[in-house]
Amino acid sequence: MGARVNGRVVAALAARAIRVQFRRAQFLIPAFMLPLVLLAVIASGTSAARGLPQFPDTGAYVGFVVGGTLMQGALLAGLTAGIALAGDIEGGFFDRLLTAPVQRVSIVLGRVAAACALGTVQGIVFLGVAFLFGARYSGGVAGVGVAITLGALTAGSLAGLACAIALRTGSLSLLQNLFPLTFVLLFTAPAFFPRELLNPTAEAIATYNPLAYIVEGIRAALFDDPGLGDSGLGLLVGAGLVLATTGLADLAMRRRLATQ
Amino acid sequence: MSPLAYAASLSGAMWRRSLLEIVRVRGALLPTTLAPILFLLGTTGQFGSLTDLQGFPTDSYLAWIVPLSCMQGAGFAGGATGANLARDIEQGWFDRMLTSPAPRPLLLAGPVLGAMTRALVPTTIVLCTGLVLGAGLPGGVLGLLALYLSAVWLCMVMALWGCSLALRAGTQQVGPLIQNGVFLAVFLSTAYTPQVLLNGWLGTFAEYNPVTYVLQMARQATVDGIDPSWSHTWPGLLALVGMTAFFGFFALRELGRMGK
Repeated sequence: MGARVNGRVVAALAARAIRVQFRRAQFLIPAFMLPLVLLAVIASGTSAARGLPQFPDTGAYVGFVVGGTLMQGALLAGLTAGIALAGDIEGGFFDRLLTAPVQRVSIVLGRVAAACALGTVQGIVFLGVAFLFGARYSGGVAGVGVAITLGALTAGSLAGLACAIALRTGSLSLLQNLFPLTFVLLFTAPAFFPRELLNPTAEAIATYNPLAYIVEGIRAALFDDPGLGDSGLGLLVGAGLVLATTGLADLAMRRRLATQ
Repeated sequence: MSPLAYAASLSGAMWRRSLLEIVRVRGALLPTTLAPILFLLGTTGQFGSLTDLQGFPTDSYLAWIVPLSCMQGAGFAGGATGANLARDIEQGWFDRMLTSPAPRPLLLAGPVLGAMTRALVPTTIVLCTGLVLGAGLPGGVLGLLALYLSAVWLCMVMALWGCSLALRAGTQQVGPLIQNGVFLAVFLSTAYTPQVLLNGWLGTFAEYNPVTYVLQMARQATVDGIDPSWSHTWPGLLALVGMTAFFGFFALRELGRMGK
């Protein structure tokens, strides 16, 4: 089967996933509402942090913390991709897909692509909302583009991981209970505060959390400030994560098919 | 049987039924306990250096956040009562209760009492986690009493809020709205920083949010700068009485309307 046909299958599956996402409010609330509420609470509740001597000057405080919001939204978008796949498995739609003459990996790629697309939409919405509330991005359009790409890659990464778990277990309730995992990943990265201001334990853990490099890359891109992070490294880590977790999901798919 | 003994016996039976949920539903307490602990650890790691700001009443951010996490756990336990009631309404069990000769308010008393009992579990586990990690108890026994009273009473308030919505909507789909209400009530307060360090709209909102005063009452247990005193207690008590009257009125009104 040619790459073009595979591409069309992936696009069709991704489009279906996005349509389902926008049809069901229970998927949209965590992906859009929750991060925006947390942005409002954190941006206002911890804005006194600008008074700390080591806190970098990025203009409005909301501009600094919106990077964390982008990450949170992307993680939740990725997780909902896994939840939706588990729903397809439990509901039998997945089995119908397996009978179709398509490459199995396309099923996973469709989900990952949909999560990346959703991550892109989230990036536009979140950065737009923060802009309305005073954030200014000195990195310009290119910086905003890189930040949105990093958010999309994060969504794709977690989608790959969540799909791997969905394919391995086939359990919708397990996927739904993985919600706290996103908070663990988020809070062990310098999502809302610079790394130097995290407490020593969190700072030590952040070194091993790949999302730390992505969120710092987002800030570096938004404010065109290499002192805040390395956006090139962030892109590399993000792309590597997407490849690795999609590979894991493909492996889980093969194991599932072998044992069925 | 005297009316009082009848009321006690009926409420007791409903209370015991509510508590059965803990035994029969595996992991029923997990979300209300795990989420506040993750929040406690994550927030302390991220925002711990806020205590360096002038005006912060303690040098331990953990001590500042532990009561908040206890309130969060207790609030979610209360909110879950509304979700459970919505399930009972949807499945028809509550209709059977309504046809019984029991006075209607007693049908709510049991589940609310059950929630208050369940709230002791996340409150105690979160508090113990905080103490193990180094938050002290400078408020002693009086502070501890204030913390538990705040948690259990706030749980009752949130249970009444949840029951009002469940009775109004009559569907489990109201669950996210109940829990989001709890989240907003708890976090749009002095959750992260004291009132003097809150800027902008949240500063104004928190001043009028009754949960701010409940938190102050609870913080007498762990925060050095908020010592146990009547002046730190009565605003919280007044807030709790006010919220109980407000949400109690709505819950009873919705209950009275059911089936009419």
